[in-house]
Amino acid sequence: MVDVAAGQTLLAACLRAGVHLPHACNHGLCGTCKVTVLEGEVDLGAASTFALMDVEREEGKALACCATLRSDAVIEADIDEDPDALRLAVGDHVGRVVAAEMATPDTRRIRVAVSGFAFQAGQYVDVRIPGLERPRAFSMATAPSARGGFDLLVKRVPGGEGTGWLHDRLAVGDALAFAGPFGRFFVRRSADRPILLLAGGSGISAIRSMLDDLLGDAGGPPIRLIYGARSERDLVGHAELVARAASTARLSYTAVLSEEASPRWDGARGFVHEQIEATLGGSCAGHTAYVCGPPAMIEACIRSLMKGRLFERDIYTERFVTVADGAAALARSPLFKRL
Amino acid sequence: MAAATSAPRRLSLKRKYAMLTRGLGWETTYQPMDKVYPFDRFEGIVIHDWDGWEDPFRLTVDAYWKYQAEKERKLYAVMDSVAQNNGQLGITDARYLNAVKLFLTGVTPLEYAAHRGFAHAGRHLRGVGARIAAQMQSLDELRHAQTQIHTLSHYNKYFDGLHDFAHMHDRVWYLSVPKSFFDDALTAGPFEFVTAISFSFEYVLTNLLFVPFMSGAAFNGDMATVTFGFSAQSDESRHMTLGLEVVKFMLEQDPANVPIVQRWLDKWFWRGYRLLSLVSAMMDYMLPKRVMSWAEAWEMYFEESGGALFADLERYGIRPPKHHDVAKKEKSRLSHEVWTILYNYTHAAAFHTWVPSDDEMQWLSSKYPDTFDRLYRPRYRMWREAAARGERFYNDALPQLCNVCQIPMAFTEPDDPTKIAFRESIWRGERFHFCSDGCKDIFDDEPEKMSQSWLPVHQIFQGNCGGASIEDVLRYYHLNIGADNLDYEGSPEQELWDAWTADRRTAR
Repeated sequence: MVDVAAGQTLLAACLRAGVHLPHACNHGLCGTCKVTVLEGEVDLGAASTFALMDVEREEGKALACCATLRSDAVIEADIDEDPDALRLAVGDHVGRVVAAEMATPDTRRIRVAVSGFAFQAGQYVDVRIPGLERPRAFSMATAPSARGGFDLLVKRVPGGEGTGWLHDRLAVGDALAFAGPFGRFFVRRSADRPILLLAGGSGISAIRSMLDDLLGDAGGPPIRLIYGARSERDLVGHAELVARAASTARLSYTAVLSEEASPRWDGARGFVHEQIEATLGGSCAGHTAYVCGPPAMIEACIRSLMKGRLFERDIYTERFVTVADGAAALARSPLFKRL
Repeated sequence: MAAATSAPRRLSLKRKYAMLTRGLGWETTYQPMDKVYPFDRFEGIVIHDWDGWEDPFRLTVDAYWKYQAEKERKLYAVMDSVAQNNGQLGITDARYLNAVKLFLTGVTPLEYAAHRGFAHAGRHLRGVGARIAAQMQSLDELRHAQTQIHTLSHYNKYFDGLHDFAHMHDRVWYLSVPKSFFDDALTAGPFEFVTAISFSFEYVLTNLLFVPFMSGAAFNGDMATVTFGFSAQSDESRHMTLGLEVVKFMLEQDPANVPIVQRWLDKWFWRGYRLLSLVSAMMDYMLPKRVMSWAEAWEMYFEESGGALFADLERYGIRPPKHHDVAKKEKSRLSHEVWTILYNYTHAAAFHTWVPSDDEMQWLSSKYPDTFDRLYRPRYRMWREAAARGERFYNDALPQLCNVCQIPMAFTEPDDPTKIAFRESIWRGERFHFCSDGCKDIFDDEPEKMSQSWLPVHQIFQGNCGGASIEDVLRYYHLNIGADNLDYEGSPEQELWDAWTADRRTAR
């Protein structure tokens, strides 16, 4: 049961309610979001006659991206069932900042208390920044089981308005408005295969949420975490992760530094994707991989995973892009759907 | 009280499609599968798990029939109205129709060949999902051939050169360019065929054929062509996704497939590119109202869209097709070199050519500022002056054809547009000639196959084409001498067109 506002498209209403209908163009041209109206009456909107043919209109088909309701209706859609999706409804929430500290020289950990908000490990929220039109996205950095709220890890973008406000202006006790949860980046427990968690920089937030969530299970497949940062002081929660790995048989942990390390550092040097090859010996087939970090790190990891014969259906990614990155996004072909 | 009954759930489209594909397949037991599907391992492609095939689209047979029937109804309504309202008079100029002649005689038989090729692939790929996709495409291609033949049939009533397209396709020299392209694909194994046609041609290069040509038709008032174009294009997205899926599937199934796929991408990129050189001439010279230049289309559809595709394919260890850099170097001269060839030999062709008008030369000069005025305008001036003296130039010497693309060898060196490129290879004591490194590489890779090319000029010299004189050969081609061939200027077609449109010109 989905509530649809007057004038709201079926697609918008379903997505808002956590029902992920397949869609692509959003303008009634491609036909990806075709659904069948079983009961009730809909306005087909601006569906193209080539994307929604006459015979289909007669059969009660509609394009969800431009159809609106004339009465209550029952629709049927072909949804690729994702047994791991909880389909949590997206909502607007207001939380309160209960603690904040610098986790690294440029990353602030903000603890938010909120009630009535559920999410899946790996998902994100859109945080509203006063005075800015566009919200900023941040992944939850703690497990969903942590009652009463979540942590965000906010890395300061040099000159960035959103992260600047979250670092300099937001204080303990302040209210924080956000919408969520969003994202299809969550753990696929149903895959039941060895898990690769790959984090680059502040991408550790979503990955840490997933890790804590997985380690809350009584048992499960082996987990290999590779976490890359520039230097030792940029690693968030390193000591804790080392300790978890030492006490947990199914977890192995590699931290890798790309810049100068102190003489004390006896760990790996270089980049996350190089560690994929170093630790797995070039064979990734049979795993499920979750990759989170900046676009260049994700691209390098995808290439290393594919070189190790792991392909799109077993790779999940979440790109951390800044508002400035967005404009420079590369042109892509339709060869890959998600990657 | 009501018993708790649950209505049987309707099958989801995904389940329905799985029933149609996986559900209808079986492992043979009377004969081993390798004997039932003898060709799908022959090419060296290793498939471990056909269930890894992801259906690129889920179209069931009942839905397919309904969609295609509606498309046919819409198409033939337009065709009828074109016929009843003398739609042929709506085109900008009769010269435009020569682009249509080249398309309908060159491409329509390819649609039919594609129908046969996909029927073959649909029989010989052992994965059921891939087989069904190929079979549906086979039906699409038959429909495309049919709609184009109906268009051809309409224009045949009013214009020359269209009266015997099937006969001509097997004999005429420039039609051997598209024919040999498809014959090469048809005689390959099923994986190479699908890679060649669905991926390299329909995905990577088709926009260069359809978009400029269909926009050209729309710009020039040719509603019949626009309509069969739209009707075919609505199938095209399905064909493209099949091309993408088959390539992904091969690359993911086994690392040993990567070098084989790379070789096919190299080969079929170059073959497709050489075939499209005919389109370059149509775009730059044959459309009275031009849409965009060949160089602009190449930049938009290959350098940009193709660039994004090959950047993605790099993740599989695939590099951009060999000699794509040569295609880039050639983009400012390709159409001019091809038009020159067609102008030289139009006395042996079933369409007309002409020297571009002053306005057209101005347009060409603005689109090709680095090459046109320096390299091609002087030549057209010379030809125009010769024609004014009554000495329109026709080249009576038969040209050396490239053994692979079968185009007369008039393309130039990648780094010197004033020097004709000649390449050759010796195979079993015989010398073979090529227009480019791209064509030579294709020959050197499969000399057993490519040395068997049916080359129209060689065949004429061997006495297999009706005789030794040009007239003998044209009769063998079934050309109406003096009507189908020669310059547009002074042709019966021009005379008719001028008479039909006399009102228009006096009104102006």
